[in-house]
Amino acid sequence: MKNPLLRIENLCKSFGEADVIKGVSFEVYPSEVIVVIGSSGTGKSTMLQCLNLLHRPSSGKIFLEDTEITAPGMNEDHVRRQMGMVFQEFNLFNHLNVLGNVTVGMTRVLKIPAAQAKEQAMAELSRVGLADHADKYPAQLSGGQKQRVGIARALGMNPKVMLFDEPTSALDPELTGEVLAVMQQLAADGMTMVIVSHEMGFAREVADRVIFMENGYIEEQGTPDQVFNTPKSDRTRAFLSVINRMEGV
Amino acid sequence: MEFLTSAADMMKFLIPGLGVTISVTAIALAIGCVFGAAMAVLRVYGGPVARTIALVYSILIRAVPVIVIIFILFFVISEVIDLTPFMSGAFALGFASGAYQTEIFRGAILSIPSGQMRAARGIGMSRFQAIRCIILPQAFRVAIPSLINEISLVLKDSSLVFVIGVPELLRRAQYASASTMEPLLAFGCAALFYMAMTLTLSKALEAVEKKFAVNF
Repeated sequence: MKNPLLRIENLCKSFGEADVIKGVSFEVYPSEVIVVIGSSGTGKSTMLQCLNLLHRPSSGKIFLEDTEITAPGMNEDHVRRQMGMVFQEFNLFNHLNVLGNVTVGMTRVLKIPAAQAKEQAMAELSRVGLADHADKYPAQLSGGQKQRVGIARALGMNPKVMLFDEPTSALDPELTGEVLAVMQQLAADGMTMVIVSHEMGFAREVADRVIFMENGYIEEQGTPDQVFNTPKSDRTRAFLSVINRMEGV
Repeated sequence: MEFLTSAADMMKFLIPGLGVTISVTAIALAIGCVFGAAMAVLRVYGGPVARTIALVYSILIRAVPVIVIIFILFFVISEVIDLTPFMSGAFALGFASGAYQTEIFRGAILSIPSGQMRAARGIGMSRFQAIRCIILPQAFRVAIPSLINEISLVLKDSSLVFVIGVPELLRRAQYASASTMEPLLAFGCAALFYMAMTLTLSKALEAVEKKFAVNF
């Protein structure tokens, strides 16, 4: 098997007294799509934001390719540049138009010349189907469109891995489809992705591996078929039965 | 000075003062804006020492009448550094306005959702880059209505520098009043000029506000 792109070793994160992540280890291989599921408040989002150091891990190690990014003295900005992050609440830059949202990181962070950045940004916007909306401002877009801009913004940085923090949770059900379709296309293009999501259908269809998190630990992981159809852990079974009842499966 | 008996002549006499008033105001606002934005950033994002310095600046300056600051600069500081009355006045007003603008910008920065900072850091921006390219441009837009108010306050406060002999609008009006014994005409014309400036400015800035409005 190839070398892992990301290796997480015994990651822990506490906020004051509260231990949120209590020792999580897993590996992400190139072009792999991992979907992290679990109940609210089990530390999925915190874990994801630890991966690109938006939250500084309390202990444990994270390796990006062969570099330990949690090593002291590591340039965090340089690390984050290599990982795209998509947020639940989109967090588009409200004072910039769609094109500006995608190019600002390219020109300011990667120092790509404006003309070239624009060209690349338009290519990313076409990829998410929003090239026609390049001149609009975030306030003029629907939620689904905003999230696709969020994805294009992250892709513009040409990241090694994309992290998705509940990308469809803030969307109306009818708008989630367009975002999931873009993500599915990305997966098909071979992008490495770690996705925190409640979209079980999507996980089943697109994930190479599903990780079920519970109470700050990884309770169970495996292929979608293993986790969804033959869960080993009682907690996984209980969680899935609740979800299935909600989805009316 | 018989030639100052008509309103038209009086206005002609006052016009050079108008230029001085506008320059003092413009310099004061520019200084205040730089100070205010910098101090606000320190208040919100600075370490304990920087935060304290910015806080003390804002509290102390706002606790002292502007005229006292003008006197301190003119009588005390200008002994050490060579400052003309004009520059003493403009700096004093700028210093004072900076304290108020600190509070304006601080409120504006705090109103920007925290996700903006996270998203900026998420694409690899440094804290400083995120503040400069993402937070401040949005905070500035949020601050525009309060800044418009501050501009008209500074414009009117600029009349205070007449006490140190800067030949601005009020100074010239007082001079004209004393020499013609026509205070109503002199100060009435000055008042008209102040009103015209304030109203024109706020109309112009409302247009700016509309142009830069951000929707969240």
